[in-house]
Amino acid sequence: MSIAERSSFKYTAVGRLMSDPLAVAAVTIIALLVLCAVFADAIAPYDYKALNVRERFAPPSFVHLLGTDNLGRDTFSRLLFGARIALFVGLTSVGLAALIGLMLGMVAGFGPRWLDNAILFLFDTLRAYPTIILALALGALLPPGLGTVILVVVLTTFSEYGRVARTQTQALSAQEFIDAERAMGASPARILFMHILPNVLGPFFILAAINLPVVITIEAGMSFLGVGVAPGTPSWGATLKDGFDYIRNTPWLIVSGGIPLVLVTLGFTFLGESLRDVLDPKLRKER
Amino acid sequence: MTAKFDPFTAASTTRRRFLAGAAGLGALAAMPIKVWAAGNTLNIRTYTEADNFDPVDASGFGEEMLYGAIYRKLIQYTPGNEWGWQPDLVESIEQTSPTEIAFVLKKGQMWSDGFGEITAEDVKFSLERIIDPEMESAIKPDLGSLTGVDVTGTHSGVIRLGTPFAPIWSIALPYLAGTIVCKKAIGHGKRITDAVPPTVAGPYRVAEHRPGDRWVLERNPEFSGPKPDFEKVQIFLIDDEATAEIAFEAGDLDFTRVGLGSIERLRENPPENAKLSEHPSLYYVWVGMNMESPKLKDIRVRQAIQHAIDVPSILEAAYFDVADASTGIIAPGLIGHREESLVAPSADFAKARALLDEAGVDTLDLKLDVLNKSTWTTAAQVIQATLAEVGINLSIGVHESGSFWTLGNEGDGDRWKSLELVLNRFSMTPDPYYATAWFTTEQIGKWNWERFSNEEFDRLHEEAKAETDVAERDRMYKRMQDIMEESGAYRFITHEAAPNLYSTAIKPALRPDSQPLIQFFAKA
Repeated sequence: MSIAERSSFKYTAVGRLMSDPLAVAAVTIIALLVLCAVFADAIAPYDYKALNVRERFAPPSFVHLLGTDNLGRDTFSRLLFGARIALFVGLTSVGLAALIGLMLGMVAGFGPRWLDNAILFLFDTLRAYPTIILALALGALLPPGLGTVILVVVLTTFSEYGRVARTQTQALSAQEFIDAERAMGASPARILFMHILPNVLGPFFILAAINLPVVITIEAGMSFLGVGVAPGTPSWGATLKDGFDYIRNTPWLIVSGGIPLVLVTLGFTFLGESLRDVLDPKLRKER
Repeated sequence: MTAKFDPFTAASTTRRRFLAGAAGLGALAAMPIKVWAAGNTLNIRTYTEADNFDPVDASGFGEEMLYGAIYRKLIQYTPGNEWGWQPDLVESIEQTSPTEIAFVLKKGQMWSDGFGEITAEDVKFSLERIIDPEMESAIKPDLGSLTGVDVTGTHSGVIRLGTPFAPIWSIALPYLAGTIVCKKAIGHGKRITDAVPPTVAGPYRVAEHRPGDRWVLERNPEFSGPKPDFEKVQIFLIDDEATAEIAFEAGDLDFTRVGLGSIERLRENPPENAKLSEHPSLYYVWVGMNMESPKLKDIRVRQAIQHAIDVPSILEAAYFDVADASTGIIAPGLIGHREESLVAPSADFAKARALLDEAGVDTLDLKLDVLNKSTWTTAAQVIQATLAEVGINLSIGVHESGSFWTLGNEGDGDRWKSLELVLNRFSMTPDPYYATAWFTTEQIGKWNWERFSNEEFDRLHEEAKAETDVAERDRMYKRMQDIMEESGAYRFITHEAAPNLYSTAIKPALRPDSQPLIQFFAKA
């Protein structure tokens, strides 16, 4: 690789990200999480469903790295499979919420005033609902499961993406290059998707990265409250709930259940902040 | 040169003073709360709060605990390990015929606050207002066939029954419906709506009620019986057993029910100055199957599920091996208790699989609905694992209590139509009549969620409540449980267990099912 090539890599977004130690730590944590989720079947030392009541509440040991739960199931194996659920819920719900928010936000920012007001009213109404209250209400109406969790997360978070998309769209709409496009007869759809969308996506990735751990903790919180996944599903929140229920019998379950949540929160938060530093031109200049 | 007194340097803290002060505060903090708490106060926990003073509006044990302390009855449950009753207001009480009970009240038993002596008119008023259709009392069924009370003198009367009603001695007179209230203080057709009862007759009176927190009772100076040991009783509402246990260890409670998961630890290492008591319970837990569900219409499928549920595994995992397997809905010690169930507690997977094959079922997807408490979800996961052994894929539906208790009720929507399996638990009073009452044809769509209907069962239920021959009654209730089990719609699990933790400074008085009778609590 020539000096010029190396220098150019240093100035790319990925290069700048990789030069930040915090970002490297974040990527490492996230990569580990992804590996655990993808290769859970191969890594897990035990069947996460296998009951062994006689060995319940076992402390961490070489036999059970993170001990066992109230039904004698291996906690480490359950947390590995829990990573799969956490990632599935996180990526699906963030993806859906971002997509819905992006579409509505762009329409609100580019469309007529009355449509903007109507969509803003929808955003405000949904944002006014506390997540947990909505989760409890929907949890009582719908059967417990990942579908319910994803629905709650999407309903409570898409307006956040919508607001960002609307503000960005409004700011870009007033730019000269958009006026030029209009003058050349470009259709609204072309302006929206060819010129505004690429400029809105940057802040979206940052927001999504920061929101992922929030979403994972919402799933954990719902499972903790008994309105999340069905009993037996190896979700991190369900492990925490078991830990809470049996904290007088063993402290290990709640400690073990909390570790991946702490790690994933740190990982995605660091990644989001590093991405913001790299992608935001203002912050780049200040550095 | 004279030394001047400098208030600032005199008051300043030296290292030695600071350490001494800190040590003093530390010692104070380490002292058990009881050292400075009033020794004459009994602090007790309830999981369900009484929210009224009027027996007409009573609904359960929360009220019974309070009424026992502030009101009186003709007879009361005897504290101890055997079910029985002892006279309270009566000097004598006797069943003079299958439909008549004559009583004579003790003289000089007084109402508080100037409402005079307790008379037979109060007894008539109290019992007849419960059965008065205009009062719409939820506990009216507890009085069965009672038609009224004839007053034969100031202190005597006759309780009249339309037909013989055996539970009159076990659940009518000594429980909620038998509570005597003051006719003069309430008045015909009225309810007690005051912030505190206008008059009481029990050993305690109400000093304060903090809804959602506690009832504070104080000694009733006008109580006609022996002076109770405690000046004050506080009944704290604490729903969560683990929280109550922590409160006990902190010295805030003298008596509390504890979770089954704590028994092993408390047996080995009880808190200082505390004792653990373990009693059987009357509650009954079972897996019910909706007989009208298309997947469960074939009796062989239901019987296969009965045989595939391994009760010992559930008891080990969810009840920490401290509860025994039940044989039906009637607990040991009560009339009608069966020594053995028809289906053995341990699973027989081969038999279950053979029954499914006979029914032409290869695999089956079913749903089990449970309450969102750890005992139920744990039991449900064990059932899920054992049913999987015979090819039944079980999904678990978890509900909070408001949602759960309306699942099978036709008056609360259409969810009863999709009900398949349900892990259920009912409370119980010490008479078998109270257990079988919920499984009659008339109860379908109310509490009979299995939609079980059997003519012989219904007939036996009516006949058994009027049967006064104990042996015959026992036979009838045993047969009724056989019929339930033969239908395949029930897999009986347990009657649970009732562990209590109490301070060695008190002498608790408990019913055989360990429910506290606080009017009889004393200092050790």
